[in-house]
Amino acid sequence: MTVDRLLDFAVTINPGFYLIIAALMVAVAKDAFTRAVALIGGPVLALLAMLYPPVSGADVSRELFLGFELSLYRPDSLSLIFGLGFVLASALGGIYSLHRRDRLQDAAGLVYAGAALGAVFAGDLITLVMFAELATLASALLVFAARTGPAYRAGLRFLTIQIIAGLLLTAGAAMYGVERGTFLIAELGGLWNGLVIGIIDPGSAGGMLILAGVGIKAAFPFVHNWLTDAYPNTTETGAVVLSPYTTTMAVYLLARFFAGYEPLIWIGAAMTVYPVFFAVMENDLRKVLAYSTNNQIGFMVCAIGIGSTLSINGAAAHAVAHIVFKGLLFMTMGAVQLRLGTTKASELGGLHRTMPWTALACLVGAASISAMPFLAGYTSKTMIMTAAEAGPGMMVVWLMLLFASAGVLEHSGIKVPFMAFFSHDSGKRPEEAPFNMLLAMGLSSGLCLIIGLYPGWFYALLPFRDQAQEFLVQDLFSISHLLQQMQLLTFAVLAFMVLWWFRIYPAERPGVIIDVEWIWRKGGPALGRVLARPMRAGGRIVSGVTSSAIAGLQSAGRQVFAAEGVVSRKLPLSGAAIWALCLLGVVLLISLFR
Amino acid sequence: MSEDKQNPTPVEPAQLGVPGEHPLSVLLFSWMRGKLFFRIFMAVLAALGAVLIALEFVLSHRAVTSILNVPGFFGIFGFVAFSIAVLSGWPLGKLLRRPEDYYETRSGEAGRDR
Repeated sequence: MTVDRLLDFAVTINPGFYLIIAALMVAVAKDAFTRAVALIGGPVLALLAMLYPPVSGADVSRELFLGFELSLYRPDSLSLIFGLGFVLASALGGIYSLHRRDRLQDAAGLVYAGAALGAVFAGDLITLVMFAELATLASALLVFAARTGPAYRAGLRFLTIQIIAGLLLTAGAAMYGVERGTFLIAELGGLWNGLVIGIIDPGSAGGMLILAGVGIKAAFPFVHNWLTDAYPNTTETGAVVLSPYTTTMAVYLLARFFAGYEPLIWIGAAMTVYPVFFAVMENDLRKVLAYSTNNQIGFMVCAIGIGSTLSINGAAAHAVAHIVFKGLLFMTMGAVQLRLGTTKASELGGLHRTMPWTALACLVGAASISAMPFLAGYTSKTMIMTAAEAGPGMMVVWLMLLFASAGVLEHSGIKVPFMAFFSHDSGKRPEEAPFNMLLAMGLSSGLCLIIGLYPGWFYALLPFRDQAQEFLVQDLFSISHLLQQMQLLTFAVLAFMVLWWFRIYPAERPGVIIDVEWIWRKGGPALGRVLARPMRAGGRIVSGVTSSAIAGLQSAGRQVFAAEGVVSRKLPLSGAAIWALCLLGVVLLISLFR
Repeated sequence: MSEDKQNPTPVEPAQLGVPGEHPLSVLLFSWMRGKLFFRIFMAVLAALGAVLIALEFVLSHRAVTSILNVPGFFGIFGFVAFSIAVLSGWPLGKLLRRPEDYYETRSGEAGRDR
């Protein structure tokens, strides 16, 4: 009986708290076994709690806090699929990190995952903002955890941008909640096809601020460099743990709040295209993957903007599939980083000779992100492409997405595995990755295959289940879709081979590629240098004027208040009487005309 | 017993891979190292592409209402889009690539601007 009551209570807790409790355990764990139990057991407990919620689509746990009604746990089909992705990422990240005994990273990683999970299950704006801020702090710790100068500076930049995003989100949530008279998500908008989505009006001031905050977290164009700056500066495990949460949480928030908001279509389409060009030039393969993340998030943002049941399903499916295959690619590059201390393409090549398992996993991840049929990426991206193709007046957007699909094959499908593991022989013979890393890579590869080969169970978890099943039966493995995708991939690979054969494929060269971040990393200091001379001159003038004025005042004060000064002189009594009379006259006038 | 059998010519064990190479690498990837691999693979891809376009002609029953529905469109688009993405790397690289220590040096010291 007591056990039943305990279980009843356990399933009413926001699953994010299980990961945060596991983080506390990891922080104090003295032996490897306890640490491993917490790292893997926490996500497993969260998964169990998530799969057995007492009610779906309703506020499970309501609290009154400082006069505000909060809903700490509100599961529905949209939060469930994102939550599943976060729990999977947390468990796989935990296994991947077992070789590295760093309490800071372990605990920060679990808090980060727990906060992101808590945010997707939050039923009100206040709880959501709290979890999002906690995620920001934990993620910054993961960047700092590399304990190097560049990582420290990248961490500060990351934290600054994330805090700005958090402040925008907080201010927007406060304004919007006050304006609407409630902070509860269920009461902010009505149901759309049985789901509370697209509930915030982006035309209101609060809505605009929320969109701006979420946009920064989703790495919208011009504010995307926090992603490409931070990820390559982390440890080999840091990028794996960082990659799934912030951007995916932002995708969830966009779907929940702004589904069907048309400008997102173009923002998303732009996000898919421009990272392709940067990824082609980039030498650091972890940075290539960061640009690739930007590109894949673009597909999801675009799908959310389209706002049909198919596109929302596609965005949710792609978010989870992306967590799996991008995590896998970051894992393989993490293994290279661990063994060689670098992921710069110009210093790599031929690593398949001694790291064949890692190379194999990288190939699975690369094929998956390229949307090779019967792998995870195809299962999710086909939905988005079909939704975009079906949309009225969407030809240009659809062509942009198609171009980006070929671009993905270039940077993540070919460049990453080819430059690291094949290409020319760098002569480096590193040891294969540790067993725990290989296990995590193996499990991720397995997931890519299972989602791709047996998508039925995966589609059953999507927000609009019936529409997903219909797509599975009619479209996913249709001859035309399969042939078109295979054509795109085959000819794109052929183009690579032709360009390589004629030696016009750009060689990987050391260097950094300047991007928007130039504005604050170079432009800011340069502006400071330009303004320094006039500001110093101005300062000298102001200082001189101020000094003269102060000296004048001192001199005048001495003359007035000194022993022989004006105020010390003896005045006749009649003079004082006249002054008193004047003052009384003034008071009388004021009181008369008041 | 003949002299040959008493002192057999030492036979080197067959070299499957480079020294220190993982057996799995030999099993999975050594076939890629043949001199003709690149040409054969390119020919196979071209043949596969041709077969895919032919199959689209035969199997796909979508009405040709726009250029997007023309058989082979995806193949040609993939080839052109990939080439554009890659070849853009030349001019853009010249325009945007800077030395490694442009923002900060490898040792973590302040960058060139300080």
